[in-house]
Amino acid sequence: MTEDHIAITGEPITDAMCRFTVDRPVYPEKSFYFGDKEQADGANLAERLFAIEGVRGVQISHDQVTVRKAGMAEWPVIGKEIGNAIREFIASDQPAVSDEIRQRIPSVEEIKERVQQVIDAEINPSVSQHGGMIRLIDVKENVVYIQMGGGCQGCGQADVTLKYGIETAIRAAIDGVGDILDVTDHASGRNPYYVPSNK
Amino acid sequence: MPRILLLLPTTTYRTEAFLASAGQLDVEVTVGSEHPNALARLNPTALLTLNFSDPEQAARQVVEFAAEHPIDAVVAVDDQVTLAAAAICQALSLRQNSVESVLAAGNKHRMRQLFERAGVPSPRFKLYRLDSDMEVLAGQMHYPSVVKPLGLSGSQGVIRVDDEPQFVRAVDRLTKILQAESEKLKGDQAEKEPSLTSHFLVEDFISGPEVALEGILSRGQLHVLALLDKPDPLDGPFFEETIYVTPSRLPTDVQEQITRSTGEAARALGLSEGPIHAELRLGTDGPSVIEVNARSIGGQCSHVLKFGTGISLEELIIQHALDDDFELPNRESQPAGVMMIPIPRAGKLKQVHGLRDAEAVTGIERVTISAHLGQKLVPLPEGSVYLGFLFARASSVDAVETALREAHARLQFEIEPFNSDAESTKKPLEPINTDVAFRN
Repeated sequence: MTEDHIAITGEPITDAMCRFTVDRPVYPEKSFYFGDKEQADGANLAERLFAIEGVRGVQISHDQVTVRKAGMAEWPVIGKEIGNAIREFIASDQPAVSDEIRQRIPSVEEIKERVQQVIDAEINPSVSQHGGMIRLIDVKENVVYIQMGGGCQGCGQADVTLKYGIETAIRAAIDGVGDILDVTDHASGRNPYYVPSNK
Repeated sequence: MPRILLLLPTTTYRTEAFLASAGQLDVEVTVGSEHPNALARLNPTALLTLNFSDPEQAARQVVEFAAEHPIDAVVAVDDQVTLAAAAICQALSLRQNSVESVLAAGNKHRMRQLFERAGVPSPRFKLYRLDSDMEVLAGQMHYPSVVKPLGLSGSQGVIRVDDEPQFVRAVDRLTKILQAESEKLKGDQAEKEPSLTSHFLVEDFISGPEVALEGILSRGQLHVLALLDKPDPLDGPFFEETIYVTPSRLPTDVQEQITRSTGEAARALGLSEGPIHAELRLGTDGPSVIEVNARSIGGQCSHVLKFGTGISLEELIIQHALDDDFELPNRESQPAGVMMIPIPRAGKLKQVHGLRDAEAVTGIERVTISAHLGQKLVPLPEGSVYLGFLFARASSVDAVETALREAHARLQFEIEPFNSDAESTKKPLEPINTDVAFRN
């Protein structure tokens, strides 16, 4: 196997996020999210990607590498560097996420338990004042899936609550948590606390 | 890392877009809203509660906050926070529009006066008290005219009148709207300008197409981001915005006149920094400036505007707020458009049908229903919400417009009339696709 034979397809999701699909598994049947450079310290593939200017987040899932970037660099330009890093990593024959890295983060069960504690003790007592509630749906590897209900579902401030409230509380309580994803169907919210209007 | 203060009213359509754009930049974000976030105590440096109706108090509060957490730029997201943003920037000595210019842009009478003084083409106007004898006033009017409030936005309360009885009814209706909106109109600006709630404006109706210009001012210089045509005629009696398409199909010389008039209008108001959204009518005498607002395009319409290699309008606004030397990229070349889905009748939204069919229309990029099921819907002139937004991109502006109209035709809204339990369905409807996300 040579680097030349590795096909990688880039698919921008937003101007800040692009999914690179590789023609072979890079982290077979598993996924892992690196939210910053420090978290990727010692992680073969992620460390290479964070060395590229503008890269701010890396999600590795089976044969896909999703990269979040900041700044004005264009995907076709930065994508070439990302492709080279992925090819170099595959050529290195190293695991994408080493055992050492994995040992740094709590187990899925531990993350679940601690996230639930934060939700019960810190988040829900506060959001319930707006008729809202937050549920932990799942934890996969270090990625946390939550759902908003009641007054939070469809609320015009849901994004603020997620990013600057829920995420902050969870990350302050648990090291090593990756993405925190909201899986709420906000459109079905029947009683959102704040309703967008043109006022 | 620089810190920006995002002034996000709790009811803005634009929270998601501004937070996503801020997240793409290397900036610390503090969100200022008029009501406390439920989790504010968990992250007090990121979540501030500010009284937008008292900008001076908000400014004092931010100055105190900034002593510990320096703020490099303030970004106002919607109309109701532009005054607070100006006051905060003045207090922090940050580059922004002056308080006076934002006050002028927020008062349609003051705006008209300044346009007139500067020779900016705009409709003839006159100010009247709401407690005047309307039967007498009606006899003094020229028709057709437009009755409008001084302080609301989004065409709320704006009514065309063609004769004396219509004038009397329109002012009565506007009076009730202003009473219903009194909570919103009270506060610092209303105290400084009591005419916002005690007076109304009557101006000439200018027949002709309408356009919107989206721009950024930098040291008083206008940079045009997009000129958007509004292909649906806005002839009244109410002025519901529907379709915006860009690039404009108008001849180059007309586009240049529009740009020139908008720049003159912004200067007349004293606006000098940040985004502006201007509305102009193209009458027989050329472009006439209806208004210039010290904010970017409203609703979720900004989604249709991408710049350079896909930069959002929100990212561009934040970048510009942080660095006035930031080079503003041009809008992408592909034609694009948005439709603000109008509310067909008053009532409670029960169900939306045809989403998948609408999304399947060639050129349609996204369908967003922003009203939630069960929401009370009130059309213009009293209302101020949209049912949702359709977004399209295609190889030509005509194709964009066709796609938006076709997608809209495929949507069906079940709206239950107020004060009635009766179902409003007129014909059997297709099953709802429960796996379709209303909001992207």
